[in-house]
Amino acid sequence: MIWQTIFLGVVFQLIFVFGGSNNNNNNYEKNVYIWPMPESVHYGNKTLILSKDFNLKTDGTKYKDESGILRDGFTRLLDVVTLNNVVEYNVGKVDPSVLLHGIHVVVLSEGDELQYGVDESYKLYINSKGNNPNYAHIEAATVYGALHALQTFSQLCHFNLNTRKLVVSQIPISITDRPRFSYRGLLIDTSRHYQSLPMIKKVIDSMAYAKLNVLHWHIVDHQSFPLEIPSFPKLWNGAYSRPERYTVAAAAEIVSYAQRRGINVLAELDVPGHARSWGIGYPALWPSKTCREPLDVSNDFTFKLINGILSDFSKIFKYRFVHLGGDEVDTTCWTLSPRIRKWMKQKGLNESSAYEYFVLKAQKIALSHGYEVINWEETFNHFGDKLDRKTVVHNWLGGGVAEQVVKAGLRCIVSNQDKWYLDHLDTEWQEFYMNEPLTNITKPEQQKLVLGGEVCAWGEHIDASDLESTIWPRAAAAAERLWTQYDKLAKDPNEATSRISNFRCLLNQRGVAAAPLDMPGRGAPDGPGSCYLQ
Amino acid sequence: MSTRFPTINPNSPHFFFTVFSICLYLTPIITNSRSIRTITSPSHLSDDSSTTYLWPLPSEFTSGNETLTVNPNLSISGSGNGGNSVIVRDAFARYKSIIFKHVGRSKFSDLDYDVGKVNVIVHSSDEELQLGVDESYTLLIAKSNGLSIIGEVTIEANTVYGALHGLETFSQLCGFDYGTKTVQIYKAPWFIKDKPRFAFRGLLLDTSRHYYPIEIIKQIIESMSYAKLNVLHWHIIDEQSFPLEVPAYPKLWKGAYTKWERYTVEDASEIVNFAKMRGINVMAEIDVPGHAESWGTGYPDLWPSSSCREPLDVSKNFTFEVLSGILQDMRDIFPFELFHLGGDEVNTDCWKYTPHVKQWLQERNMTEKDAYQYFVIKGQEIAISKNWTPVNWEETFNTFAEKLNPKTVVHNWLGPGVCPKAVAQGFKCIYSNQGVWYLDHLDVTWDGFYDAEPLEGITDSTEQKLVIGGEVCMWSETADPSNVQQTIWPRAAAAAERLWTSKEAAPISNTSETALTRLQYFRCLLTRRGVQASPVTNFYARSPPSGPGSCYDQ
Repeated sequence: MIWQTIFLGVVFQLIFVFGGSNNNNNNYEKNVYIWPMPESVHYGNKTLILSKDFNLKTDGTKYKDESGILRDGFTRLLDVVTLNNVVEYNVGKVDPSVLLHGIHVVVLSEGDELQYGVDESYKLYINSKGNNPNYAHIEAATVYGALHALQTFSQLCHFNLNTRKLVVSQIPISITDRPRFSYRGLLIDTSRHYQSLPMIKKVIDSMAYAKLNVLHWHIVDHQSFPLEIPSFPKLWNGAYSRPERYTVAAAAEIVSYAQRRGINVLAELDVPGHARSWGIGYPALWPSKTCREPLDVSNDFTFKLINGILSDFSKIFKYRFVHLGGDEVDTTCWTLSPRIRKWMKQKGLNESSAYEYFVLKAQKIALSHGYEVINWEETFNHFGDKLDRKTVVHNWLGGGVAEQVVKAGLRCIVSNQDKWYLDHLDTEWQEFYMNEPLTNITKPEQQKLVLGGEVCAWGEHIDASDLESTIWPRAAAAAERLWTQYDKLAKDPNEATSRISNFRCLLNQRGVAAAPLDMPGRGAPDGPGSCYLQ
Repeated sequence: MSTRFPTINPNSPHFFFTVFSICLYLTPIITNSRSIRTITSPSHLSDDSSTTYLWPLPSEFTSGNETLTVNPNLSISGSGNGGNSVIVRDAFARYKSIIFKHVGRSKFSDLDYDVGKVNVIVHSSDEELQLGVDESYTLLIAKSNGLSIIGEVTIEANTVYGALHGLETFSQLCGFDYGTKTVQIYKAPWFIKDKPRFAFRGLLLDTSRHYYPIEIIKQIIESMSYAKLNVLHWHIIDEQSFPLEVPAYPKLWKGAYTKWERYTVEDASEIVNFAKMRGINVMAEIDVPGHAESWGTGYPDLWPSSSCREPLDVSKNFTFEVLSGILQDMRDIFPFELFHLGGDEVNTDCWKYTPHVKQWLQERNMTEKDAYQYFVIKGQEIAISKNWTPVNWEETFNTFAEKLNPKTVVHNWLGPGVCPKAVAQGFKCIYSNQGVWYLDHLDVTWDGFYDAEPLEGITDSTEQKLVIGGEVCMWSETADPSNVQQTIWPRAAAAAERLWTSKEAAPISNTSETALTRLQYFRCLLTRRGVQASPVTNFYARSPPSGPGSCYDQ
């Protein structure tokens, strides 16, 4: 059959490791199966066997690992590499010189604060014959760089079906790596559909595999208000049901779970437009009973409440940024409500300036709690010059916005919906891959203002059943665009097909429901076949 | 292989409990003088106390109107010959982490909780898991106080597998209360006496059309245990790929899609053991002679010719040597007494068109149909010689019933009305009518699964006993690790209740009143445990939710 011939071709590509090292030209690297592609990889053609007591060594490190972030990361590494097959350690004689005894990790800084711009670089090298016993070496400025190195290492490990042992191939290998952008995000939306704690944790785990580092948690929207806010305890009356809620402790657990994997959580409070559910607990926030959105701009209570929420947020969400939304604000209800109309008249505001008034006031509150603010691009498009100068503008409507934003001297996150919205099922992985955040931005000082990008999994049609299959594998394509140095990216995405296909199958092996590559988003396979070809 | 029910011995430490639970059962609601401290909240969702959010529904139960709080430091106390089994201990640890998954910070100290311990009494130390093993259990949940001798939670079962079901039921009664930030049990005291209606409650997984990594298979097995399904029918091999290692014929797994899409013998044993720890048997299938093209990738002699590759070459001894070798190797992996030999959809044209096979038929004066029968019967003989009970798809019964070994279990799939015929001839039967129980039929809705009746058309009670149960089938032409759980759940759960719960407790009439709310609740329970269960009421299975909304309404 034809497919067998095709797959044999792919298998040969995958099996044979060509000796010699990469001569570091700008050609796309075809024989390295790491996703996302590191900055540089030099490799040989020997193979080492992971020893039974494969262990973590940290001599000479400055990082004390008091909270066990590195230790747990190492345990997870062992878990994922042994997940696929039952590994046999005791059968057969093994030449001790081909054993790899563990990983020696040296972290140069003591702290483990995870903030925007934290140094995520690392070096990983494995000699074919090290000092006896042989260890892989990881050097990183921070523990979070070391976690990335462990992820890379996990992708070098394979199960040998003949010997039943875990091996690392392409030895000696030397990898130098660092991210191209500091902000590599994924948005999940727990308002349109609630996602349970185990589901969110699973998403965080899979993000770490692709070296994404920001979970943008769009917690609240029109439809439901699932989060507990101790200052205003009736807010979560806006949850869909009693169990479809997050306690403060649950939110804190998500933040901590993510942080231990090198991932920051960006919380969003989308005001004033996407906030109807707030009024279930506090109807005074609605312009009127029949006209419920945007939040009542004329009511001091609205801002008192935002202050309360952000105050509670600041105890849970330690990331430098908070997202204040500000998109899709239809201000009709303000004019239709006599009370608000009167208030606007007194203040000399029209609908548009009242929108500006609201956003800027919310920004000030956020700043007072120590946050820097991210807003969706409409705020920039309407009153860019009025925004706080520290504002990060979050693009979504289309391409070309980042260019305008950085010209105006503001920072930007790229999420143009035509390429990076995961709920757009007809956008293929190749388009995700080719979406370049720095399009038409050439000046280095302007390039620096693009913090990175984010793929968005809006939840109208995403619940627990299809969350993972909608995210993966397309989010991985964007993850490489955001991580990998520009000259190491595939210029033609089809050059990356067998490598991303390999990554998709790796996700499946790790229990992640990543969908076929050759179908539209979350499409079912169209017939029987190998994971590596679909 | 069921264990004997223990005789009641007045000197036994369980005697008092047994007698007490019988008394309790006779008096459904015990009054309790202590008032309820926490907020009264009869159900997890609303004040609708008429619904019992258990899936599958136990055959007999009574409940009260108290709310009990559960200590996060919940402990287990095992007794009886099997109460301290590692199977029970591991299960308790799993359920404890499930029950306390949705954390919150409670202000309570240990002493404030009503429930701090689960007593598990298992009478038998026999942990053999076979068809018909005693899966019954009783579960008692009551507040402990000075007057009551049975504080807290008690699960009593004859086997560890009954105890596992008791723990599952217990976990479903525990819900996180977002007001008090504690796990609570509503409508206590509970007395539940439960046992399965059918001994065989299966799910078929097809790892030939698409390969499923071990981690995914384990996720499926884990979720099966939530619905009290107890047989994973592993359709390992088919035309498309041969993922399993067979040491006797090491080239067979050359028929795998790739070298990464394979199961070693150790991997297969790991799956069997993982399933056993959850009370689930693994029934392996070798589908011969029709669905076996992939065998020939490693051994082309098994094909009638290189251009006509299916069914397996009936004329060669080598074919049966390989079959025997596979079964011998599998015997070491799969301890379950049932072994599935397939036998469906056999198109014998290749036998007719291949000269050497044709000649072989002529020499023996056999028609193609005779040869099909010859193949199946020979396969059965090999299986029986290795101490298996053969299961075959219904075509074998439809074509040559009188020749089948009398121990054969007939596996229905083509349509209704087959089990009645099979049991009338004294065969055992498994019900999998494709019109209602094929999960890859995406247009069969949850109530189609729920309303199916394995005993339809069978009135004689002796004949009814020959229907050992039923199975939902997850054929994987268009299912892979990305969507398999979505396709299985929640519809497999609808069949699971049909197979577990007595007909009286789970009537087929008026199911939108009696079952839908509970099933929606169970679907949300699955998602809260990390299982990708789809919306219940969508017309097409595994389609995304039609719009924003609560899990409990979709």
